[in-house]
Amino acid sequence: MDSLILEISTRGLHRYEPIDDEVTTLGRALDNDIILSDPTVAPHHLKIIRHQDGRLELINLAVVNPTRVGTRPIDTRELTRLPVDIEVGRVQLQLLARDNPVAETRPLAGNGRRGHLFGHPYWAILLALTCICVDALDFYLNSYNSFKWSDLLKYLLRETVLTIGAFVLALSILERLLVNRWEMKQMLTSVSLVYLMFAGASVIVVGLDYLLSASWPSTLFHFGWYLAIIPAAIAIYLIHISHIKRERSIVLALLIASPIAVPSILQSPELQALLDNFSSSASYHNRLSHLNWHLRDSVSIDRFIEQAKELEPGEIAD
Amino acid sequence: MRVLNRETGKKSSIGSGFIVGDGSRLATNYHVISQVILEPEVFYISFIGSDGQEGELKLLGLDVAHDLALLGAEHSLGEAIEMSPLPPRGAPIFAMGNPLDLGLSISVGTNGGILNQTDDSRILFSGSLNPGMSGGPTFNASGEAIGINVATARNDISFIVPSRFLSALIEKSSSDGYGAETDLKAEVARQVLAYESRYIEQLLESDWPNLDLRQFKLPGVISPTVRCWDNSAKLSAVALYKRYQIRCTNQNHVYLDEANSSVGRLLYEYYWLESEDLNAIQFYNLYESLNKDQVDAKLDRDMVSNFNCETWFVEVSSQQMKSNLCRREYVEYQGMSDVLFTAALTGHEDRGFFITLILTGVDYHATLPLIRKFLENTEWTP
Repeated sequence: MDSLILEISTRGLHRYEPIDDEVTTLGRALDNDIILSDPTVAPHHLKIIRHQDGRLELINLAVVNPTRVGTRPIDTRELTRLPVDIEVGRVQLQLLARDNPVAETRPLAGNGRRGHLFGHPYWAILLALTCICVDALDFYLNSYNSFKWSDLLKYLLRETVLTIGAFVLALSILERLLVNRWEMKQMLTSVSLVYLMFAGASVIVVGLDYLLSASWPSTLFHFGWYLAIIPAAIAIYLIHISHIKRERSIVLALLIASPIAVPSILQSPELQALLDNFSSSASYHNRLSHLNWHLRDSVSIDRFIEQAKELEPGEIAD
Repeated sequence: MRVLNRETGKKSSIGSGFIVGDGSRLATNYHVISQVILEPEVFYISFIGSDGQEGELKLLGLDVAHDLALLGAEHSLGEAIEMSPLPPRGAPIFAMGNPLDLGLSISVGTNGGILNQTDDSRILFSGSLNPGMSGGPTFNASGEAIGINVATARNDISFIVPSRFLSALIEKSSSDGYGAETDLKAEVARQVLAYESRYIEQLLESDWPNLDLRQFKLPGVISPTVRCWDNSAKLSAVALYKRYQIRCTNQNHVYLDEANSSVGRLLYEYYWLESEDLNAIQFYNLYESLNKDQVDAKLDRDMVSNFNCETWFVEVSSQQMKSNLCRREYVEYQGMSDVLFTAALTGHEDRGFFITLILTGVDYHATLPLIRKFLENTEWTP
């Protein structure tokens, strides 16, 4: 008779019990072979019988929350193939043959070429310091008064350290809840990379706005960042660092990103304009650039006035 | 003078008026009865005479630009008040009206003369006008009406419409008034647009004095109706830049209605920014953050359309200016638009300059020659 294994999943955690005896009982009572301490499980809930001729039989013993195979409640059920999913109360079981194939081994995040970046704490520290340098530069380029170190330090503490720290902490707690592990250095590396990506992309998008004399690049970036790039970054992290399955990672990434994305998008002037369909302000293109790179030709005053005659009033809102 | 709701029979607004012409006509301010123009099916105009008699009035004529309305009663209401030209400056004059609906009252003051900044449409009166006195007569010492009470800036600074505009309105108004089929909003729009177009034509015909702002020669006080002020904000002692701002606005606004308030606004503003200490990126971050002038009037969707804006890079006096022109139209008043024009100097790493020009309640196409003249009178001095 082939050897069997019972996988017991409770709140995302798995434990494995060998099923070697002819009769194995499951339930909450302490005289069972396998004790399931869950209030939705009956004191004597399920009996697994391995017949001499190789047949495998399940017998339900519970009145409340009877055992289910697949999605259907059973009284008795003879099993013809493995693996099979069983529900006992809210505890998920899977009966497997011992030779059931297992998934391929995932490399540790610190191994391999890609893992190099995520594996070493030096990278995490270097990237976090780069974020601080980028924000210091941003502070300098946006300050128009005499430089004060105390202002810079306050800005960095508020804008960089607290922001990155809050994200790393919140996401690490989530990771701990999801996969029961802390991956602080990988988390710091990932958050810093996304932070730097945002800073770099913002500069490019502002340049594009001016180049095209349009505001759609920054609008597109604003929505794309929250709706696509942040969830994608979280999904990549969950797949490659936390080793969670792809489909589950995508769903989790969307759930994790939504508390950041939803308020940012709901409060954005772009969405307000779309929803309201009306604004009493004139949203003209006020970007200015010292490079002055633009695709529009310069026109004379005469040509400008000629073209301005064609300007129609805006839409009347409903 | 009262505007009453047909359903509730209660007054929605009050003002004053006086008998003119053949005795069956009453003069008041347009703003006292403007609700009837917007919603004629809901409101009507009524009067209570000083002798207690009451009755409904019909609209005979409007002069929206000077805030006047001429109303007609079904029968003669009494002896008309004689009208007279303005007495000498400093002469005593007397404003009569029904302040806060408390009863007839007379306010005493002196004639401060005709104000050219209001396009000669207002007399300065050193007495006090209160809500409810609008539309009442202002008398000279002989008891002749020299004008109509219209507005106050508080602290005994009040304004009177000269009687000559009322005489002109009486002369051109028919005794039958507007027919039931007349679109009164279209009539209001026609009058406002005619006034504003005439005003813009006067601006185009006149020679504009220059004013200097750093490296630019710019249109200065382009009309007696315009006043320019230095609007430069006080900078912090540690600021690494300098900025200079001049704001010019006209005073001859036109009351349109309760919701839209006033139109006929002309505002132009110059903003110069320079720095020797900021690098080009810092300078342009600051420059861009300041480039955000707006039309002040926050109007609702049922009053105006959205703005439509377009961008050009315009060559002005050998300099390239990033220019934006925006336009929105009034929903209720056909052909009436608000226009916003901005032009920001480009191509200099340590100097910035922008012009903002705003016109409200105008014919859009009439504003384009004015914008052209503004740009042609903008001169860069290297």
